[in-house]
Amino acid sequence: MPEILEARNISKNYGGVRALKDVTFTAYRGKVNVLVGENGAGKSTLMKILSGSEQPTSGEILLEGEPVQLGSPRDAQARGIGIIHQELSLFPNMTIAENLFAGRELRKGSRFVDAAGQRRQAREVLQRLGQDRLDPGTLVGDLPIGQQQLVEIGRVLLTDVRVLIMDEPTSALSNHEVDVLFDVMGDLRRDDVTVIYISHKLDEFRRIGDWVTVFRDGSLVAHESMSRTDTGWIVRQMVGRDPDSLYVRNSSPVGDVLLDVRGLTVPGTVKVDDVSLTVRAGEVVGIYGLMGAGRTELVETLMGMRKASAGEVAIKGKPEPKGTVQARMAAGLALVPEDRQRDGLVQTMSVRENILLATLARMTRGGLLNGGAEQRTAKDKVGELAIKIPGLGALVTALSGGNQQKVVLARALLTDPVVLLLDEPTRGIDVGAKSQIASLMADLAAQGFGVLFISSELAEVMAMADRVLVMARGRVTAEFTAENVTEEALVSASASESVLEAAK
Amino acid sequence: MYGCVLEGWEKMTDTHVAPPKKAAAAPQPDEPKNTALARAALLLLRGRTLVVLVLLIIIFSSISSEYLTQSNLILMTKHVAINAILAIGVTFVILTGGIDLSVGSIAGLASMVAGGLLFKGFDMPGGTVFFSVAVVILIGIVVGALVGAVNGVLITRFKVAPFIATLGMLYVARGAAQLHSDGGTYPDLAGTEARGNTGFGFIGVDSILGIPVAVWIMVVVAAAAIIVTTKTPFGKRIFAVGGNERAAVLSGIRVNRIKIAVYVISGACAALAGLLLTSELGAAYPDTATTYELNAIAAAVLGGTALAGGRGTIIGTVMGAFVIGFLSDGLVLVGVSTFWQSVVKGAVIVFAVITEQAQQRLQSNLTKRTA
Amino acid sequence: MKYLPSRRALLAVGAASVLALAACGGGDDEGSSGSGESAAPAASKLVVIITPSPDNVFFKAEQDAAAAQAKKLGYETLVLSHDDDPTKQSQQFDTAISRKAAAIILDNAGADASVTAIQRAKDANIPTFLIDREINKTGVAVAQIVSNNAQGAGLGGQEFAKLMGNKGEYAELTGKPTDTNAGVRSKGYHGILDQYPDLKMVAQQSANWDQAEALQKTQTILQAHPNIKGIIAGNDTMALGAWAAVQAAKKDIVVVGFDGSPDVVSSIQKKAIKATVLQPASKIAEMAVDQADAYIKAGGKTDQPEKQSIDCVLVNPDNADSVKNFAVEGS
Repeated sequence: MPEILEARNISKNYGGVRALKDVTFTAYRGKVNVLVGENGAGKSTLMKILSGSEQPTSGEILLEGEPVQLGSPRDAQARGIGIIHQELSLFPNMTIAENLFAGRELRKGSRFVDAAGQRRQAREVLQRLGQDRLDPGTLVGDLPIGQQQLVEIGRVLLTDVRVLIMDEPTSALSNHEVDVLFDVMGDLRRDDVTVIYISHKLDEFRRIGDWVTVFRDGSLVAHESMSRTDTGWIVRQMVGRDPDSLYVRNSSPVGDVLLDVRGLTVPGTVKVDDVSLTVRAGEVVGIYGLMGAGRTELVETLMGMRKASAGEVAIKGKPEPKGTVQARMAAGLALVPEDRQRDGLVQTMSVRENILLATLARMTRGGLLNGGAEQRTAKDKVGELAIKIPGLGALVTALSGGNQQKVVLARALLTDPVVLLLDEPTRGIDVGAKSQIASLMADLAAQGFGVLFISSELAEVMAMADRVLVMARGRVTAEFTAENVTEEALVSASASESVLEAAK
Repeated sequence: MYGCVLEGWEKMTDTHVAPPKKAAAAPQPDEPKNTALARAALLLLRGRTLVVLVLLIIIFSSISSEYLTQSNLILMTKHVAINAILAIGVTFVILTGGIDLSVGSIAGLASMVAGGLLFKGFDMPGGTVFFSVAVVILIGIVVGALVGAVNGVLITRFKVAPFIATLGMLYVARGAAQLHSDGGTYPDLAGTEARGNTGFGFIGVDSILGIPVAVWIMVVVAAAAIIVTTKTPFGKRIFAVGGNERAAVLSGIRVNRIKIAVYVISGACAALAGLLLTSELGAAYPDTATTYELNAIAAAVLGGTALAGGRGTIIGTVMGAFVIGFLSDGLVLVGVSTFWQSVVKGAVIVFAVITEQAQQRLQSNLTKRTA
Repeated sequence: MKYLPSRRALLAVGAASVLALAACGGGDDEGSSGSGESAAPAASKLVVIITPSPDNVFFKAEQDAAAAQAKKLGYETLVLSHDDDPTKQSQQFDTAISRKAAAIILDNAGADASVTAIQRAKDANIPTFLIDREINKTGVAVAQIVSNNAQGAGLGGQEFAKLMGNKGEYAELTGKPTDTNAGVRSKGYHGILDQYPDLKMVAQQSANWDQAEALQKTQTILQAHPNIKGIIAGNDTMALGAWAAVQAAKKDIVVVGFDGSPDVVSSIQKKAIKATVLQPASKIAEMAVDQADAYIKAGGKTDQPEKQSIDCVLVNPDNADSVKNFAVEGS
């Protein structure tokens, strides 16, 4: 098996922290090399080194057997190593074509941009990405996030890559878009391009990967041909324990109706159309659907962040007509938002301040904040949710994704909710943290909370929810119980509206 | 800036005392030298306003023996007081991610309202009434607060960008100040015994224990502002609104109320500063405090308040005001021409912003390393 | 107006030019029905008065005096303020031109920056009469009537030297550095003061004509030079600011200003500020309006030289009681 890129005995220290410990990693030519591991396991650090944006503390990199110095991302690009980052680096105010060619515009003469040529090539790239209907003149800011991700991938396809590193490229993609991406990856593989693919989604990378490499705590713990592994083996390598405990099924007795929604309608580009649902005490209810189905809009409206044009919301049997965030919070709702960077965290504040933000008024003595009470309350929650932090005073941005998510959850729990609304609670966090969040949700249900969560992952929603509602185009199109839910039924209900009629 | 330095220590010690078992990522004791160096540089950058101030004092006192005398320090501090009070108000606004360009004009308006009440009284159907000085000061501050409230309502209810809303108010309030006296000056604010309105000079001219009343007022305002920003839920909410407005909304914070409140505070502080200036001058004229908003914003920025919101300290702002004031007065004291005074002041402000960015970079690097 | 054929108007122009002197002499008869006799440029009876901001009482007095005199002579008035902004002034000239003003009375916003605007008015047959400040070009405006700043500063300097007993340390507060008068006055002061070897200027700072700035700068100057015996200021608002600082420092210091504003006059009466130099603002404004009226009636002719300089008057406790609104009664 010819290896193209090899990292030999790489170590990387950040200050006193050893992010990579003597890692020797091999990527095979023309294969999809999957990298998995919990957040902070060292995958991203290794990728930064391989793409030239970080330098190893010790060790060497070999490209086709030759030792190379990758001093900058430009160096790496010149040698045919491209990277697609998890965070998008597009210009929302420019068109697709302009984005694809940003920084390396096609020239007409020596000065002028060959706009027509760019559009032509852009159209070809979009075709390759299965987006034939997309006009290259569309502003990127107007695209849904999944298509933006595809544009980002298109940028790399335009360069002459030999090794393509993809850092969780599918986290924002719909199932259809993921299929397209995998087709593209198949093409690349046929063109002898090597792909290094970082992912958290077990079901996905098992479909596409040829080799799997597992990282844990800065070390490479396993390296195996995909065909000789199974999901259980991979999870065991990643978390160092049995995968059966990955998702904890809620089994609490179900109590009174805590949240009762009747005919909720919200106008807008992504609308919510006549949605009714209930959540009972001790129940974990999942909402499955594609992006743009109105799921986020539904929970944001429940939380009072959007105004409903019709419908009623009752909490613990009492109608809550005001519909402001404060009123809904006081009534017993709490929301952990999907995009924690945009909606959840105050990046300029510490862990402690973020945890206490919604309940500051309770931390006072004589009108002034009581530092002791603050410290105690925050510390208790940190312990309760097992949040890993360098200190309560550390900036919240210093935490990993899963721990940031727990900070937002801690804040929500402090408001004494009866029903927790969780929008994609496991998005972008690693398997270990996912399992922790899942068991937390089961714990909360056992304590008598009602839990309503949104998920785009079939396996997750099937494993965790007592009941699953499926949304499509703003409507609830189907409802299943844990007993009668199947993958096929979920997928078809999420794709159309007609299923509702069929189910009834 | 002391606050900043202490906060820095707190953060550092927090990191150091984190038990090693908690996370493999916790820093180990054998921290390499360059990180320690970076930390020292960061500390220096955080305390840069203080460093600059000390440098200024060293430079000027080596040129003029008068600079570091007790009486000159008191005088300079008194000059600082007016800008510091304006800047404290503006800092509240900037912390929420807004801006208030109208503070100079509000100071002028409050000055004219108070001056008019003292000089010619208030015409009521039953005749002209004269209020006592305390009431006049209160009315002046209330006027400033009300103008601030209008700013806040424009920004929250009518969704006018803060820059535009307060730019408009800059003109409106200045115009109102000029209309108040038809452009004239109220020359004599001493009041008379018969009208029971003597003593306006107290806040601007008099001293208590050898320290000007204006300086005491600055100390009280600064102390109150520090307590509000660091020790009250309201203060934390101001930072949250500026740090991430959407997260603040989701945390049940009434963002619009917070925003209106900070403009009210800014307006009231501006009015107070205008009254101090007027009291010291013994006369009210409509151009009082023209372009002072720029000095106030400069002090806040110099003190490390991020114009994007969410980051900054009152202490930093006060230190920024001290730097600007001690610099201007020092240049006058040693006889530098007006033109050079402008050049030097501008250069110091731009330099401060450059170091602010260096600090942010260094800080985020260090954060990444410890994460 | 409608019964007046244009041919007769032209005739009237001819007659008026011949009888220029006579028309000048009889200029103040009933203005409202006088359009028949008046000259061609006078398409309207509008006098536009443009001055700096009336925030400063000096300019307010100027405005008021000019407007009152114009009304008395039967003109409509449009009073504008350019706030020392040449761009704004230029726009105001456009307004005057489009409204076909009969004349413009201007206290200008810049010795060089104002020339083109005045020329534009001239091209539109509208005469401009400058008051208080000169421009750096002749033959554009009909008249430039200014108070004699150099002579006035000489008076102020002499009085200051006398009050100082011809010796001791003093400080000078100068005006906005871009304003010609700031330089002229400072030069005028020094023309006298520099003759006394024992008079020593220890500090010179610009306070930009501003009262609060003068206060703070004076305080700082007094710190640096505690032995100062006198402060001479380029205008009255700065003198008032300086005086507030002197009072706060509880010192006995001679303060002298320039302008003759009512506030400083009353301060002199109270034995606080020692002296100021009165610029006959009201008188100059009235003169300008009178000359404009004569010019209009004479059909675009004037018998006055373009540059006219009006002497300033020293105000001290001896004559302060007789000063009112920028004019010494009986002078």
